[in-house]
Amino acid sequence: MPFREKTAYIMTAILVAGAVFYFNKVISLSQAIGETAPPVLGFVIAYVILIVIVSIIAMSALGMATPREANAPADEREQRILDKAGHWSGYVLATGVFAGLLHYSVTLDGNLMFHILFGSLMASQIAEYVLQIMLYRRGV
Amino acid sequence: MAKRPPITNRVRELREEHGQLSQAALGESIGVTRQTVIAIEQGRYSPSLESAFRIARLFGVGIEDVFGWDE
Repeated sequence: MPFREKTAYIMTAILVAGAVFYFNKVISLSQAIGETAPPVLGFVIAYVILIVIVSIIAMSALGMATPREANAPADEREQRILDKAGHWSGYVLATGVFAGLLHYSVTLDGNLMFHILFGSLMASQIAEYVLQIMLYRRGV
Repeated sequence: MAKRPPITNRVRELREEHGQLSQAALGESIGVTRQTVIAIEQGRYSPSLESAFRIARLFGVGIEDVFGWDE
């Protein structure tokens, strides 16, 4: 399995776990206060720190296990995979942003808009790695 | 499943004819990974024109002796 495909699997797992952690907190808080929880900077910072630290540990471990592959630049096929995945994940982000804005224009719930937009960022990043895995498996 | 490109190739055959050249060695010679060589041989990826020429030159044959168009 190519190094970048392995990293895509690891990053997908980390990002999904991070998203579950974040939205679990947001939903719990929303249920406790009886309305959409306002953006809590502490949750956002905790999410970002969690993702960064776990990613660094996982990527370092993987890089040490296969240093030659880790240092090699992406070849032409991998570059196409990265480009395509990045391109399509942009649509996921755009769809989420549009949905958030549309939702806000109807409900005027800024808190929910924040969570939709932040969720769209997470979803587009997850989609990018999932698409990379699909393109590695099925061909580009 | 992604639609396969209509391009056939004899990369595996030529590799075996040239002293069982490994996929990794071929990949290193033309500047791609072993996985990309595997994808080319399986018809899951059509290499760039530059890589196609590199493969042909490595085996000392013309590009049409390596790649063909599946009608």
